[in-house]
Amino acid sequence: MSIGELLSVYGEKYLQGLLTTWELTIFSFIGAMIIGVIITVFRVCPIKPLRLFGEFYVQIFRNIPGAALLILLVYALPELDLILSYHSCVLTATTLIPASFCSEYLMSGINAIGIGQIEAARSIGMTFPLMMRKIVIPQAVRFSILPMTNLLIATMLTTSLASQVPLSPTDLTGVVSYINTRSVGGVTSFLISAFFYCITAVVIGQLGNLLDKKVRILR
Amino acid sequence: MNTYTRTVRDALYEEPGKKAKKQIAVATAISLVAIAVFIFFIAKAFYDNGQFDAKYWSFFTKYTTWRFIANGLVGTLEAAFLAGLMAFIIGMIFMIGRICNYKILNRIATVLIEFTRGVPTLLFIYFFFLIVPQLGINLPSIFRISIPVAISACGVVAEVLRSGVNAVPKGQKEAALSLGMTESKTFTKIIFPQAIHQVIPALIAEIVIVVKDTTFAYVINFPDLMQNAKVLISNYDALLSVYLVVAVIYIIINYILNKISVAIARRTQTSPVITR
Repeated sequence: MSIGELLSVYGEKYLQGLLTTWELTIFSFIGAMIIGVIITVFRVCPIKPLRLFGEFYVQIFRNIPGAALLILLVYALPELDLILSYHSCVLTATTLIPASFCSEYLMSGINAIGIGQIEAARSIGMTFPLMMRKIVIPQAVRFSILPMTNLLIATMLTTSLASQVPLSPTDLTGVVSYINTRSVGGVTSFLISAFFYCITAVVIGQLGNLLDKKVRILR
Repeated sequence: MNTYTRTVRDALYEEPGKKAKKQIAVATAISLVAIAVFIFFIAKAFYDNGQFDAKYWSFFTKYTTWRFIANGLVGTLEAAFLAGLMAFIIGMIFMIGRICNYKILNRIATVLIEFTRGVPTLLFIYFFFLIVPQLGINLPSIFRISIPVAISACGVVAEVLRSGVNAVPKGQKEAALSLGMTESKTFTKIIFPQAIHQVIPALIAEIVIVVKDTTFAYVINFPDLMQNAKVLISNYDALLSVYLVVAVIYIIINYILNKISVAIARRTQTSPVITR
């Protein structure tokens, strides 16, 4: 099929696919940030069981393949009388996995600050909240901007898991599979979806670089 | 205390006093109870739905079950190895294109690298599964999974290799050239060996992604771990237990790979990597 034909017949599908991908990406990313921050607080707090829980969470969700997690959520949870809609299964999978990476980035952001600074802060009599507010968090956030940009792109790539369950409207990857199981879409049908993914990734990357340049700490 | 185990998170707090110690003890107790309740409810859900029944777990004591799982694992490792090898070769070519002295090649390589990094693996898989056969090309099933996985990894590999090359001090190249070595000899004998040494942890971390991506092999019916799990499920009518065991196997493999990557990073004094 030519690009004109594809867009006139399936144009709306592609548009809906793009919007679905964006929607999943944004909600997953927000969720991943929230869970990631909570897990990171667990991992740095002085309470041992919470630390262990945080480490356990990260090791599980860092290492589980997305497909395996999605299959567990879709097929195994109903065996435990817990039935989630396809949409929430996808959203759960695409949130829990990036959350573990979010926590890893934040931890390396905290570790990049350097013990010397924290010891210095304490030795001039800063209280813990003051030190957090003035020394740790501002630097950790700035260190994390580029990794978080990459995480947002990775989250977008992860949302292609949505094509593995019957969703309506389906995401950008699902559209390609939808078109090509019904007719001969050809290479163009793939390139349209790929183009939308790439453009989104490039825009996110550029915005991240811009933001990073604004707030970067020069050493 | 040696400096190695002392990380920032340990430095964040002072040595707790009497009062703080008490508070920490109380918080520890509360969190322990919370975690215990959490585990209890999971176990209860398993028990109430009969998921602890012997029929769901007893076949895991059979030799044949594990041999079947091992066969699937071999399929996964074959696909992952092939994909990793191809990703390395293509990544190498992209990287050379990116750093060579021809502006046009630089441009092309940059576009290709960004393209492979911006498109999800599943889309590449559907490309090779649904669209390539439309063009009259029939690939064996192992290639239908390992080529797309390799393509989606090669852009990252190229960037990783390039960061290794950039990390080699400029003086090395200048010294080699002034000794009369040719441009290509300088690269193969001086720059590249040092570059690869730098990026081994990052390359191992990339293998984790390759292993994860091969789980999509069920899309094309390639007999990997996930696909064999499906067969076990229909044989024993035990869905939850099989998928759980398979997920744990994947987690263990990737966990070990990540640990190796971190251990090598520590030994070679390069920074450990976090990938997606």
